[in-house]
Amino acid sequence: MNFLQALMNYPTLQMALFGAIGASVASGIIGSYVVVKRIVSLSGSIAHAVLSGMGCAVYLKYTYQLDWLNPIYGALVAACLSACIIGLVHLYFREREDAVIAMIWSIGMATGVIFIAQVPGYSTELMHFLLGNVLWTSSSDLLILGALDLCILVIVFCFHSRFVQICFDEKQAKLRNLNVCGLYLLLLLLIALSIVILIQIVGIILILSMLALPASIANTFTKRLPVMMVIAVGLNILFSVGGLAISYKLDWPAGATIALFSGMIYLVNLRFKQSTRAATP
Amino acid sequence: MITTNTLCFAYDSLNVIENASISIDEGEFIAIFGPNGGGKSTLLNLLMGFLSPTSGKIQIFNKPPKKARQWMSYVPQHFDYDAAFPITAIEVVLGGSPISWYGSVARSEKVKAHELLDTVGLKKFVHHPFSELSGGQQQRALIARALINEPKILFLDEPTSSIDPEAGQKIYELLFSLKGKMTIIMVTHLLQSAISYADRLFCVQKSVSEKSKNEVCKHFAMGLYHP
Repeated sequence: MNFLQALMNYPTLQMALFGAIGASVASGIIGSYVVVKRIVSLSGSIAHAVLSGMGCAVYLKYTYQLDWLNPIYGALVAACLSACIIGLVHLYFREREDAVIAMIWSIGMATGVIFIAQVPGYSTELMHFLLGNVLWTSSSDLLILGALDLCILVIVFCFHSRFVQICFDEKQAKLRNLNVCGLYLLLLLLIALSIVILIQIVGIILILSMLALPASIANTFTKRLPVMMVIAVGLNILFSVGGLAISYKLDWPAGATIALFSGMIYLVNLRFKQSTRAATP
Repeated sequence: MITTNTLCFAYDSLNVIENASISIDEGEFIAIFGPNGGGKSTLLNLLMGFLSPTSGKIQIFNKPPKKARQWMSYVPQHFDYDAAFPITAIEVVLGGSPISWYGSVARSEKVKAHELLDTVGLKKFVHHPFSELSGGQQQRALIARALINEPKILFLDEPTSSIDPEAGQKIYELLFSLKGKMTIIMVTHLLQSAISYADRLFCVQKSVSEKSKNEVCKHFAMGLYHP
């Protein structure tokens, strides 16, 4: 049975596809801000710190039989908290920013692993968080993804011009009396939301492949941010659906295949752009 | 209109500006020059309220700089920007316009942005990517952005550095056409042009002192102001 036939027959695969498309919308839009503001490593730090929240939620769920406690809620809290800490450090203690990013990155991961290690059968759970498992997407996950997507779209619609200003020229934004601190924190919170959305698809370790790579490729094709966002969303959908099809065919892990596929296309695009630049007199 | 009173600024224990007391009137064209690391850009940042003085006071229209920002505009050096940033010339200019709560810019501001790009000689490049403009064109687009909110004070930080002399001359002519309509305070390393166009010259070398044009010419010939 080929991928398309399987897609028609298996609801699991359909859920996975919808999940991947939903995540592609958020990550294409927010990833474009991440790339133009050059905060990829900062986003990586938020992504890895999320494991602490997920680990804590899993621990509480198993220890106190809190069946309603979805690890995604823990991820949401940890992502927002680490975004705020990193944002405040960027704004007020910029000279120590790198070290703080690394600290949040490693402490977040370590706390998460320790929490998860307290739960019986933890290794499977840990692998799902780290590498993602889009095939486990449930209808309740899709609802949460949809709500987060909608939230991101509404905020971006209202704040896009302001985000462009703080990404392009923070000093000018301050001179125009824009609340640069507030806007920067809001942007980091949106990145945190996108990360939570993406965890289900590619997992914590591979998140940057969906957040940064498609937007970076898109940036080589256009010099307009809204167009870059549209291209990045399209590329994300292409990579996630393509990666899903390849993983189905080869029986590889879906998240890793999606990340590998987008990484390969990024390298091909980089090589192509270099050769066209060299050919231009 | 702009007064500083025994203004001092230090990074940690390193004094950058010491006891600067200056006064600038409305409509003046001021050129600030001095050696690299002498504190020119720091003085500009203090006047715009991006840095707070260690001691002393700055008053702009009898208000502290942060409260006077509605009357200020700023033109940075064009290479301060990310060359790959996806933005067009008109979008850069509209960056100086007010934004409504739901994120849109008024139609009248868009008309004004087109007119300003025409004024600075970039009519053909309205929707051109900013990164693909030449250094001089980028600098003129940044001047257009600074003019869109009709400022009373225009700050410029070395607007002609790293651009060819012909493009630099066009920028000076553009600034000269604005003389009298607003106060212009420009950090520059091109003393010849500063002497030709500015009303007054301030030398910043920790202390801030006003120099006559003759004095500057003499010192320049002696090699005192080389960066």
